[in-house]
Amino acid sequence: MHNKVELTPEAAVRAVMRDILGLSQEQVAEFTAETELFGALPELDSMAVAGLLTELEDRLDIMIEDDEVDGELFETFGNLVAFAEMKVRE
Amino acid sequence: MAPAFVDYEFAGRKELCLCHSTGSTRRVLLVPPLFDEMNRMRKMLVDVMHALGSFETSSFLPDLPGTNESLVALEQVSLSDWRDALRACAEQHEISHIASFRAGILAVAEMEAAHHWIFSPVKGATILRTMMRTRVAADRESGLNTSLAELTEQAGAGSLELAGNILGSELFAQLNAAEIPDMTSQRIVRLESDSKPADSHIAGSALWLRAEPDEDPAMSFAIAQDIAEWMEP
Repeated sequence: MHNKVELTPEAAVRAVMRDILGLSQEQVAEFTAETELFGALPELDSMAVAGLLTELEDRLDIMIEDDEVDGELFETFGNLVAFAEMKVRE
Repeated sequence: MAPAFVDYEFAGRKELCLCHSTGSTRRVLLVPPLFDEMNRMRKMLVDVMHALGSFETSSFLPDLPGTNESLVALEQVSLSDWRDALRACAEQHEISHIASFRAGILAVAEMEAAHHWIFSPVKGATILRTMMRTRVAADRESGLNTSLAELTEQAGAGSLELAGNILGSELFAQLNAAEIPDMTSQRIVRLESDSKPADSHIAGSALWLRAEPDEDPAMSFAIAQDIAEWMEP
């Protein structure tokens, strides 16, 4: 068994977005804090969002409560990364 | 040769099993992920079966009772039934090794004497959490405010509809409690992007997260190659 280095919250969010949307490494590397998510990306439906939240919990070892999830969270890539960073610090 | 359907008997019924036989005595049971993840990874698993054939390895991909072509209602099925069904399938098809994907490991957790190849294992509560979140989002769209805690409570009292699946109380309770087992003979394989401990990492992407079912031929081939090398006598 060997452990790999821990992911930063931003790297984890980027990796999960890449997996959900089926993007290449280069495409997902172009995401900036201002990149719009919910509404702008049709693949990001409620089922994909459910998978995203659980996968982030798993990869970052955090717990996300119902009342922490609202539309604003998925407005931009920056919002989602900021949320993940906040949860990891908790 | 192309994969073909065979069957296995469980609880007095026949369940289907996709089979890619090479005539070899190296026979691996592929245990699929559960629920929606199974649909998203079905194409990948069939690609793995083709690739295993090129390594002179026979593979079997069974339908779990209550899923795919099974005539039993999912609502009537428990995790114990899945465990008994897979044990029956393994015996009837003289399986020598088991490869499970995601939560599939939970359905073969009691086959301790077997050799287990385990891909990106996940506990039952994690799978249920995603499905409950989908239900919460759907409820919200119809103006209902449901919580994960409320849904868990409802599942204790009766059947629960989650993301298009009707789960009986027993299946929900058993899955919710099902942890990833530690098997005597095991090889844990994860994606390169996954930082959790593993015996080996494979390049590819998490197809179980993909919004639409997709394929990754290079990953399927790498998985088949890793399984075939692990099965070498």
